[in-house]
Amino acid sequence: MSGASKKRRRRGLVLIRFAAMAGKEVNHILRDPQVLLFALGMPVVLLLLFGYAVTFDIDHIPLVVVDQEQSASSRELIAAFEGGDLFEVVAVRETPEEVEPLLQRGVAKVGLIIPEGFDRELLRGDSPQAQLLLDGTDNNSAGMALGYANALSQAATKKAAERAGTPLELPLEARARTLYNPGLRSTVVLVPGLMVILLVMVAVMLTALTVAREYERGSMEQLFATPIGRLEVILGKLAPYFILGMVDVLLVVTVGVLLFDVPIAGELAVLTGVSALFMLAMLMQGLFISVATRNQMVASQLAVISTLLPSLLLSGFIFPVESMPSPLQVVASIFPARYFVHAVRVVMLKGGGFESIGVDCLAIGLFFLAMLAVSIKRFRRFVA
Amino acid sequence: MSLDEHVIEVRDLSRKFGAFTAVDAVNFDVRRSEIFGYLGANGAGKSTTIRMLCGLLAPTTGHATVAGKDIARDPVGVKRSIGYMSQRFSLYLDLTVQENLQFFAGAYGIGGKKQRVAVDAALERAQLQDSRNVITKSLPGGVRQRLALASALIHKPVILFLDEPTAGVSPDSRRDFWRMIRGLAREGTTLFVTTHHLDEAEYCDRIGLMVDGKLVALGTPPELKREHVAGAMFALADTDHRALRAALAGDARVLQIQPFGRRVHLRVDAALGTPVDIQSMLTGRGVAFGEIQRIEPTLEDVFLELVGGAS
Ligand SMILES: Nc1ncnc2c1ncn2[C@@H]1O[C@H](COP(=O)(O)OP(=O)(O)O)[C@@H](O)[C@H]1O
Ligand SMILES: [Mg+2]
Repeated sequence: MSGASKKRRRRGLVLIRFAAMAGKEVNHILRDPQVLLFALGMPVVLLLLFGYAVTFDIDHIPLVVVDQEQSASSRELIAAFEGGDLFEVVAVRETPEEVEPLLQRGVAKVGLIIPEGFDRELLRGDSPQAQLLLDGTDNNSAGMALGYANALSQAATKKAAERAGTPLELPLEARARTLYNPGLRSTVVLVPGLMVILLVMVAVMLTALTVAREYERGSMEQLFATPIGRLEVILGKLAPYFILGMVDVLLVVTVGVLLFDVPIAGELAVLTGVSALFMLAMLMQGLFISVATRNQMVASQLAVISTLLPSLLLSGFIFPVESMPSPLQVVASIFPARYFVHAVRVVMLKGGGFESIGVDCLAIGLFFLAMLAVSIKRFRRFVA
Repeated sequence: MSLDEHVIEVRDLSRKFGAFTAVDAVNFDVRRSEIFGYLGANGAGKSTTIRMLCGLLAPTTGHATVAGKDIARDPVGVKRSIGYMSQRFSLYLDLTVQENLQFFAGAYGIGGKKQRVAVDAALERAQLQDSRNVITKSLPGGVRQRLALASALIHKPVILFLDEPTAGVSPDSRRDFWRMIRGLAREGTTLFVTTHHLDEAEYCDRIGLMVDGKLVALGTPPELKREHVAGAMFALADTDHRALRAALAGDARVLQIQPFGRRVHLRVDAALGTPVDIQSMLTGRGVAFGEIQRIEPTLEDVFLELVGGAS
């Protein structure tokens, strides 16, 4: 046999063994409705649950207005507040003293007070001062109102100013939101973040059990008695879950777009590409856990811990990475969740292409390769 | 290629787990198309030996070649030439009969049309042509075992390793299974079978007996009986073994007295070769006895002799 045909034959064998492994895994998945339910049902249900819980809080915040200036610019400011779905003017009063009782009774959550002299200050070029009274017990409404006021103050007209009782430093993230989320709907920001978390949890959990199960059942020994290679086992197991994971991505994005009006400013191809890369990295993390623990129970616990914590706390989804203490920033930089959260926001909200998420893709890709390498190293052919 | 060719050669093979020696400097050869029985109690080191020979476990010291390949240097080469049915696992229970066979065919690199042919042949061997779409879990134990055997043979290996293949299988199914194994040997496959059922060992051409990691006996069943169970054996009906022991106390010709079901086995010096010799030895000693029969020793006797002598 010539060298070339020998090589072709070897490649043929590799493909056959890989296909056998992947086919077997597909059969396992199809036979186990719990896996399908977990993979396809859970992310959608959770997304609906969280998505709606967030929406209810921020629509139609009741607003009471006091306009002592009664000028064109003051009316413009009020109109700006009334413009979106966010605020709803429930009362108009003559004096600032009348506002507080309304807030106390809960009739309104926010009071907007435009004092006499607003126009004069504006004309003089000073920062004109309008007052915003907030019901601090409702964090969400207060936060949204502040953010909105902040957005208005940054608008070119400079007709509005903010003062919220105590001076409040707005976190960086809130500023970014107002810039790229003109409707100021927090679902638009939360849903992509939520998508990331759900995908992480599902992806890692799916593969975390698959190798451990074979060790527990004793089938790993039978598998190792065949000439099948480590890479063939690992990639064969990865492939079906990758397809399942991409169906998940599609489902979650569809729900986000259809039900929560999350915009996809960038290209769908870019979003799919970076999601596929991230999905591979997460499935590989699950496989590594499975190979390393060889025990389904331990593997599932480790999967939850190693995904939930980094994706919830270190991804920038809730707490901006930039404002973390620097040791924590280093830890956050290891996990791909942070890069993916960033990339998804850039693509979905800012309309960025591959060129603007190159670093994120590189980091996620490196994580995938590292996980693949350690998995193969841990995955010895010998059973003991 | 002669029939005497050794397809397995084991030289001073040892395996330690930490300080514990599970297999201790074992030596034996297995000839082509032989049924080699590897006997021993639980924990004797049978599975550890078989794992080393299948390229699944590296030996601590010593060497072995299987199908001409060194188990330590070319484990993948070994795996290509052998079939293995492990002790714990045989099949994926949530897959159908056909899916199991397809998977193992694929794992050995058999694809496409060749795979269809191999799967059909295996279905025929296991007599499961009509149950190809049945979920394996719903098959009875004996049928599953047949399927596992067919699946271990799917790539036509020259050597088949079976680790306690009949554990937990009904006696009827065990007989069927051994019939299949003998059929395979006739077709030219070499079989290495571990078991702790001594009666099954009688089906083997040659036997190795393991005690605490050491190979204490090696040979054909008649050889082992001749070598390790000296003298002549008789079965005595209607007698009490304690009374017999008392009556024969001090007689140097008596080698062993052992109750065996409702009879007593008496082993004596080979000079006493017939029931008549025994009758005259017992007459006048005040012990009751019925019919006397000359019997052949079983492997159980060999085992008792070897293990009983040690303890
Ligand atoms: N991977 C292992 N680690 C530690 N001890 C082991 C391992 N495998 C087997 N042993 C020990 O080696 C001895 C022989 O085991 P094994 O070969 O499975 O016996 P058998 O198959 O004859 O029942 C047992 O005492 C067992 O506990
Ligand atoms: Mg065993």
